Amino acid sequence: MTDRGLRAAVALLALAGAGIAAYLAYAWYADATIACTTGGCETVQSSSYAEVAGVPVPFLGLLGYLAIFALALVPGESARTVGTALALGGLAFSLYLVLVQAFAIEAFCQWCLASDLIMLLLAAATVARLRAGQPAPG
Amino acid sequence: MARTKHGPPVPGVYRRPPHRTVNVPAKARPPRRRAYVIAGIAVAVALGLMAGSVLSARGGDDTGSSAPPAGAEVFGADVVETLFAGIPQGGNALGDPGAPVTLVEYADLQCPFCAQWAARTLPDLVEDYVRSGDLRIEFRGMAFIGEDSETALRAALAAGEQDRLWNFVDLLYLNQGAENGGWVSADLLAAIGRSVPGLDGGLVEQRMGSSEVTNALQAHGDAAAAAGITGTPSFELGRTGGSLERLEVGSLDADEFRAAIDELLGR
Repeated sequence: MTDRGLRAAVALLALAGAGIAAYLAYAWYADATIACTTGGCETVQSSSYAEVAGVPVPFLGLLGYLAIFALALVPGESARTVGTALALGGLAFSLYLVLVQAFAIEAFCQWCLASDLIMLLLAAATVARLRAGQPAPG
Repeated sequence: MARTKHGPPVPGVYRRPPHRTVNVPAKARPPRRRAYVIAGIAVAVALGLMAGSVLSARGGDDTGSSAPPAGAEVFGADVVETLFAGIPQGGNALGDPGAPVTLVEYADLQCPFCAQWAARTLPDLVEDYVRSGDLRIEFRGMAFIGEDSETALRAALAAGEQDRLWNFVDLLYLNQGAENGGWVSADLLAAIGRSVPGLDGGLVEQRMGSSEVTNALQAHGDAAAAAGITGTPSFELGRTGGSLERLEVGSLDADEFRAAIDELLGR
């Protein structure tokens, strides 16, 4: 895939992630009930792991996705590098949150899992973008 | 076509090389250094977030042990006393037993949204419908968040034996601490026991572990399971004595409840 195609893939994935995060952030601030088939969304969202230093996790996710989206619009190596780093950092935090859901909260939130999956795909896409843009040896 | 500074355009002199031949390793970071940069940022982001998350989750424990000093009244005692003053209670039910409409609330006493409902929505419903005898509300407790949920629920059910469950539940919500942080302490329960008029707090403490309270706890859990409740707060609404329907609300705003109750009252 070309750099342009990979940038488009990263941008679309980041927008999808931002959409999920925005919905969860809205539900947080509006006290709205979350549409949930796994039954654990409210439990996860109301757990003590739902905030980092007073900031709701969905809001942090929204910032992260928007940053990755913005970096996907910028050509060049610096944007590729920082975008990949953010996606990999986000992926590590997502894995941590999956473990927290499984072992600490003992409930799963489908929106959170969807976001985790998107972060995994984003990490793969940003790494592919980085490799595609790597200068040829010699 | 490129242009030199002092002369006419010279074909090809300053033309940029075609895109596909761009190969500028002099300016690009070497791959290994770039890998270090990526790893550094990714690890910093992930570790920072994880450390913040763990500290936030644990930090709640400190705020959870904010039990009032011995002898002191609990926070919100006056407000709760005023809210429920003069309204009949029987076991887990609030309001006139002959009220035409029944609302059932399924709640975990550690659930923050349940506390928000109790603080923001319940007072409106009590003033607009319960006090006038149009609505009765049943509390059905669940204890799925953790140990503090069960301790709190046992105390509330024991207060229900003295027909003071609603005062007890509301005061627990108003003094809610971090989940499973040990906030449902003996001191807090004793302070609530002292704060509710007409309640024998010592008897609540004595009855919390009784087989009757254990059976009631089980019955509430069974009712929630039978109703298919998977999250809290959840609500059922219907004509008293008739079948209850799940009340799906988009928010905990009192107006959503008003609309559904008014419909059943034919208003």
